[in-house]
Amino acid sequence: MSRYETNVVLYRLKKDPAFRDRFRADPRQALADADLTDEERDAFVRWDARRLNELGGSLHLLLSIPGLGGH
Amino acid sequence: MGRIVYAAAMSHVLYPDYYGQNVGPHGRRMVEALIDVVRDMGRALAAAAPDALVVIADDHLNVFSFDAVPAFCVRVGRSVKRMVQDDAIEFDRALEGLPERYPVHEDLANSLLEKGLQGGFDFAASWSASLDHAFLSPVSTLYGERPLPPLVPFWVNCFVAPQPTAQRCFAAGRHIARVIAEGLWDVAVIATGGLSHFPELSLARVGQSDAGFDRRIVKLMEAGDYEPLTALTAKELHESGSHELLNWLVLMGAVSPARARARFFGEMGRIDLAALEWDVA
Repeated sequence: MSRYETNVVLYRLKKDPAFRDRFRADPRQALADADLTDEERDAFVRWDARRLNELGGSLHLLLSIPGLGGH
Repeated sequence: MGRIVYAAAMSHVLYPDYYGQNVGPHGRRMVEALIDVVRDMGRALAAAAPDALVVIADDHLNVFSFDAVPAFCVRVGRSVKRMVQDDAIEFDRALEGLPERYPVHEDLANSLLEKGLQGGFDFAASWSASLDHAFLSPVSTLYGERPLPPLVPFWVNCFVAPQPTAQRCFAAGRHIARVIAEGLWDVAVIATGGLSHFPELSLARVGQSDAGFDRRIVKLMEAGDYEPLTALTAKELHESGSHELLNWLVLMGAVSPARARARFFGEMGRIDLAALEWDVA
């Protein structure tokens, strides 16, 4: 169960501009140390927000990550 | 003996551009009409001249991370800052012209905490949490250029399961009312957020609301019939997109058995907007 880790990654993407830049440049590398399932990691790498939400990612984080979210 | 001199609840994204962009002209017009009503409510609030303003609202994962999410949290300390965020969402960017710091009513905040521990409410305390649109959009619209009383920000976990129950939120409001009654101050209490939006917190359902649910709860508040509201389950609140009603339930507990008067109700589609006042005189 890595709902916690999914949301930790989303929270870092929202709050940590340097991490966000690394993620934009190379998402798989930026997430190398994150404790995610293959399915979660794949959703992040593809930036499939709807799938991340279905996997437990907070709607409010998904909607508010600069450059990746959007209402 | 202290008393509640004003009580109200209202939606908290009071930003016409947001609804203009995301809903269209009718969304913009609806929130502009709501803003006019909230400004009018602010005249009654200011006339009540409260010594403190308790603001019950929720965190949108701006303040609390998944490392620790308190069910309830009281902001303590001498002052509280307006939240500043890099690349903030548009309705938080709209706060940028507001004052950077607001006084906190320390004595009331501390009383809520300390008497809570004596009365079965282990509220979290924060000395650093800052205020986003959920607090400052309604407060700034209510007060405009008028001076604000010291605030007591009170957070309710509306979005990270498991949330506090409707019954528990109502009971927390009863506690707030007891503390106010035992104190020395005239206090205004407002709750913010809602009404229905984003059912099930599902990205696929952004843009939907449950207007039938909202019409029903507004009628119950106007009737002062709080039992069906406190019986709402987490599942019902989740499915109807009424997570932020938990803020309102704290307020209902504080003002019960007073009845509400709907000052505004609008069904936008993306969200239902509302503003209600309670007859606490």
